[in-house]
Amino acid sequence: MESNENVNRAVQLVAEHSIEKSSEVLTKMLNTTAKIELKNVNFVDITEITASVNQSDFEAIGSFILLSGDAPFKFLFYVQLEDAFILTDLFIGQKVGTTKAYDEYVSSTVQEIGNILSSAISNVFASDFQIKMLPEPPSVIRDFSGTLFSELIMDMALQEDKILLIESLFEIVETELNCHMYLLPIDGSERILGFGAGI
Amino acid sequence: MTENNKLVVGIGDYKIGEAPYVIRTTLGSCIAICLYDDSKKIGGMLHIMLPDSSGHHEKPTFKRAKFADTGIHDLLESMKKQYTIPKDSLTAKIFGGGKVLRMVTSNIGEQNIDATKIILKQHNIRIINSKTGGDKGVQVDFFLDTGKVHCRVFGEEPEEF
Repeated sequence: MESNENVNRAVQLVAEHSIEKSSEVLTKMLNTTAKIELKNVNFVDITEITASVNQSDFEAIGSFILLSGDAPFKFLFYVQLEDAFILTDLFIGQKVGTTKAYDEYVSSTVQEIGNILSSAISNVFASDFQIKMLPEPPSVIRDFSGTLFSELIMDMALQEDKILLIESLFEIVETELNCHMYLLPIDGSERILGFGAGI
Repeated sequence: MTENNKLVVGIGDYKIGEAPYVIRTTLGSCIAICLYDDSKKIGGMLHIMLPDSSGHHEKPTFKRAKFADTGIHDLLESMKKQYTIPKDSLTAKIFGGGKVLRMVTSNIGEQNIDATKIILKQHNIRIINSKTGGDKGVQVDFFLDTGKVHCRVFGEEPEEF
């Protein structure tokens, strides 16, 4: 148990660092302040976390990315469908409200934001833990937020009832736009990270 | 449906209740099994993710409702314990079992559907409606006042079952 807590602490510190880096990158990219907050780094019960996500289920678009290497992770970034239109306008640099329907620009924006965030995060994890970590090509999926989340944790939840989840919530200032980002260590990555941190 | 009469089910769990409650879940490759006693307006929903609990019993934590065999058994026992349910009065509706993501390696959805059908048959529970498979997520609302299920596949209009 103590070992779990130490791994959590090590992962939390690095996650905080990677979130700071992501905020900087996203702020620069969107030309408006993006405040990313690390909401939780913890072993969560699969029933409780999925019930919580299903409670406020909405239509969403998300980018799934596998971060492969020494300590593989799954990454998911998702946003409410209507909010993805605003994100697209900010990303392209056009007046907010221009994008009114889902199209390839919306899909590309979510894909690109997923790429940039996951790259920023994997760079920090790779450098702080001295490991190899590389983002694979993303899959952009439109579905219910509950479905996106359950598919993220599915492979891990088949084996475990509690999973280590890094959860972030971020807002794009001046737009009231909320985005969700999750990182899930897979295949025993949390133990590898604990080893890398000298735990 | 209001926040006050809504029961939300996560993976590896079940909820039981009576009218006017509505039980909700959201699915990908998992399966929702809705059992209902029309005469008493009592129902339960189970959200499973695996067909068979074999090999999992020895684990320090064993979430029985994750599996079709132990989950259906426990849902039935809980319903019988909480309510008096006449013999053979329950009917079933099943939903989900899609293949949403390529990142999910196994085709677990189909195995869950097959196992659920077999286990319900062993318990003499008739499946009166279902919507399974596909490649999109499904939102399921189970209305315990009528036994109707509103099933909404992502990108489509809700259907009543």
